[in-house]
Amino acid sequence: MSGQGQLAAGATVKPEAGGYAQAPVAAPEIGNVSIRDLNHRFGSSVHAAADVNLNFAPGEFVSIVGPSGCGKTTVLNLLAGLMPVQEGTISIFGSPPKAGRHDVAYMLARDCLFPWLTAAQNAEFGARIRHADRQKSQERARHLLEAVGLKGFEDNYPKALSHGMRQRVALARTFCLDSPLLLMDEPFGALDAQTKMQLEDVLLSLWMKERRTVVFITHDLAEAITLSDRVVVMSARPGRIIADIRIELPRPRSVTDLQKDPEYHKIYAKVWEKLEVGLQS
Amino acid sequence: MTDAAENRNFALYETLVINAARLVFLAVFFAAWEYIARNRIVNPLFIGIPTEIAKFLWIGLFVEFSLIKDLYWTLGSTFLAFVIGSVAGIITGLMFITWPWFERFSDPLFSALNALPRIALAPLFLLWFGLGIWSKVALGASLTYFIVLSSAVAGIRSTNADHLTLSRTLGASKGQIFAKVTLPSAVPTIFSGLRLGLIYALLGVIGGEIIAAQHGLGQLLSFLAGSFQISGVFAVLFILAILGTGLIALMNSLEKWLLRWQ
Repeated sequence: MSGQGQLAAGATVKPEAGGYAQAPVAAPEIGNVSIRDLNHRFGSSVHAAADVNLNFAPGEFVSIVGPSGCGKTTVLNLLAGLMPVQEGTISIFGSPPKAGRHDVAYMLARDCLFPWLTAAQNAEFGARIRHADRQKSQERARHLLEAVGLKGFEDNYPKALSHGMRQRVALARTFCLDSPLLLMDEPFGALDAQTKMQLEDVLLSLWMKERRTVVFITHDLAEAITLSDRVVVMSARPGRIIADIRIELPRPRSVTDLQKDPEYHKIYAKVWEKLEVGLQS
Repeated sequence: MTDAAENRNFALYETLVINAARLVFLAVFFAAWEYIARNRIVNPLFIGIPTEIAKFLWIGLFVEFSLIKDLYWTLGSTFLAFVIGSVAGIITGLMFITWPWFERFSDPLFSALNALPRIALAPLFLLWFGLGIWSKVALGASLTYFIVLSSAVAGIRSTNADHLTLSRTLGASKGQIFAKVTLPSAVPTIFSGLRLGLIYALLGVIGGEIIAAQHGLGQLLSFLAGSFQISGVFAVLFILAILGTGLIALMNSLEKWLLRWQ
């Protein structure tokens, strides 16, 4: 369903062409996720994130793209509280990040399923760790497995599932948590193009039902545009934000339909231009 | 007929042929052995006589039950040695992981003890624990302990880093991480240590019984060999081979069930 009203939609590019000109970031407020003046270094030589300022509105799907090593995963891990913040402030719903807080769910690049648990047990693993009601989370996990297209595979062990199916289980596990903020670190990075598009569709359909805030890391510009409300482009090290672009494609989106959509390709070309110019400067 | 069915039939046929060939081989082997011993081509004092071995087994197992009684002592000691050795090994492994300084502190000590041929401790264990089963249990357990310890440490260390990261972001407690992540990941490695540990427990017990004991297959073996009842010695060896195979089969099926996800 992405036929009508499509021609009117287009990308509104916020920063002026080429330059690093970010919209001013408001002070952190409760209900928002924000990053202010963030700098992160590994040792004395590697400057992974430089002067990063970002705001994530509730229910917004934001992708961060950039070349490998630009610090996008560092930003995500800082949001997840997996590393201490060195410089700057991060506020998640009004408090600093901390690994294990229940309002944040984290999804890794690898499926990270436990081989000794069945698909259903894996899907409810997170909820069980967080002491959610057993029966409810069981029901929810079954429901989500159905939603990701794995009905009938509930009792299979991961060894019997393909890569794509395993990542589907990981998606179900992530969405089985109640967290309003989802952090995803290249969750489809290791999949082939076909499977990737299928899973993007699954992710979009899951997200559309609840509209949680998503921060999605990827190096795939097409993926970022397909999924997101906003695409944030980071430069090579030191990782700065060189563009923050609103994607005005209507929702609900269909990943396969977008491939044939001229508007999508126009946006892709525009964002790519930003990325290219930014990378050179 | 479909290909699959044909393949299955062929596999069945192959198994039948192999088993028949085995039976024929054993029959020929024992007949030749009987012939050589009866005609004194080789002195039966060294190789025994198959029919005598069978008679000894028959009487020991089904008439006088003397072999059963010894088997009972040996199996009991092996079981105790295995349980004590493995539990102690796993607990020490956990302590190593929990307190790395403890491992660093005790590493040379443990290496030296592990390198020591444990059977050399037998006289000491006899002195400490007496002629009864406990000296054999100690010997078997000392062998099992180090095998299980090293496999437990390796198993716990092999925990996938991604699994730990995921657990951290979920807010799992230390206890949850141990019970739901670390322990299950360590099971395959620990299990291969346990299987080896069981065989070594049997080795330790039999070794201890041969050196000095009141009961057990090892003691019987040493008595029979000392009194030149070679057919009896072979009979005991058969029982030990079957016992070892049985123990391994038991561990294998337990492993298959525990690790059905692999």
